[in-house]
Amino acid sequence: MALKTELCDLLNIEKPIIQGGMAWVATGELAAAVSAAGGLGIIGAGNAPADVIKKEIDKVRKLTDKPFGLNIMLLSPFAEEIIELAITEKIPVITTGAGNPGKHVKRFQAAGSKVVPVVPSVALARRMERLKVDAVIVEGTEAGGHIGELTTMALVPQVIDAISIPVIAAGGIADGRGLAAALTLGAAGVQMGTRFVCAAECTAAEEFKTAILKARDRDAVVTGRSTGHPVRNLKNTLTKRIAKLEQAGTATPEIEELATGRLRAAVIEGDVTEGSVMAGQIAGLIADILPAAEIIENLIQDAEIVIKNNCNNLLN
Amino acid sequence: MDKIKSRVIEIVAEELAVDVDEINEDSSFIDDLGADSLDVVELVMAFEEEFDVEIPDEDAEDIRTVDDAVNYLEDIL
Repeated sequence: MALKTELCDLLNIEKPIIQGGMAWVATGELAAAVSAAGGLGIIGAGNAPADVIKKEIDKVRKLTDKPFGLNIMLLSPFAEEIIELAITEKIPVITTGAGNPGKHVKRFQAAGSKVVPVVPSVALARRMERLKVDAVIVEGTEAGGHIGELTTMALVPQVIDAISIPVIAAGGIADGRGLAAALTLGAAGVQMGTRFVCAAECTAAEEFKTAILKARDRDAVVTGRSTGHPVRNLKNTLTKRIAKLEQAGTATPEIEELATGRLRAAVIEGDVTEGSVMAGQIAGLIADILPAAEIIENLIQDAEIVIKNNCNNLLN
Repeated sequence: MDKIKSRVIEIVAEELAVDVDEINEDSSFIDDLGADSLDVVELVMAFEEEFDVEIPDEDAEDIRTVDDAVNYLEDIL
């Protein structure tokens, strides 16, 4: 017996687990490790130019022949050249964030890619289905980084009822219980970000990983609500400073200037006091750094136990 | 033609939870009526349902005001 879903066939992967395409964090090393372990590793293009991302793609292809993905941040100043790169490289799976990939879907699919946008609402999920995307990722506000309003628990079943393509749940999932819960809601798989930051293969600074290991339940706070682009990151000097400015009614440009380049400072330089340590609410659950393969193996085993034992016990 | 306008205004009022009196031809969904980008997606889908049309993303991007919506719908209906 092995836990498998329709997502495995769709993306040609063994386990219904996707690693989020986090900017700066999701490098070729991490994506390759997740893909080699039977999940779907994703390179995060973030705000990087095409030549930088090309190197990450080459890294993955050198390390594994399994399918992998590329996340395109549509608001990036380099979005256009990343889109062209994705098409030339025939990336197996393309996920998109921060915008509507509408006009590019057909070109991606013509290049042989599966297209899986991240959607924050039922209406957008329905529009994406109409564009014939292959699946959608539904990400709740529990997630790290840029977030929407609704929780995973509330949004996932509503989207599942509204569309008939596979739905991947994200936000607040880091262990087998979370995977089992998502599948119970009707999801075809999960995407996890924060859990994979604490993978041995993740190249983020040790300080960044340690901050997540040390985080407790209430530490992943939201900054930037007043700017219209809220971000979830671990409470530190930076988040407190932004919170103060927001309370004082400071104008958006000033707050955005303060936040610019802060993720890079945290991930690359390990500045976890003045940097933006983007992480989800589930950070408090993560207690160890493990190889990606072990994270995935544990997740599947634990989910199978939960589904087999707990669910049956509830009925007795 | 005015019928399209009044139906558009009614949908905008309903979808964005604002009074009909607060809406005029120049009202921008985002700047004047407090919508966010996801509200606009829902609004466009409500237009599609009401007028039984399909509005592609490329066109939807240009529908920012009541007038934009009325003109667009008049063109395609």
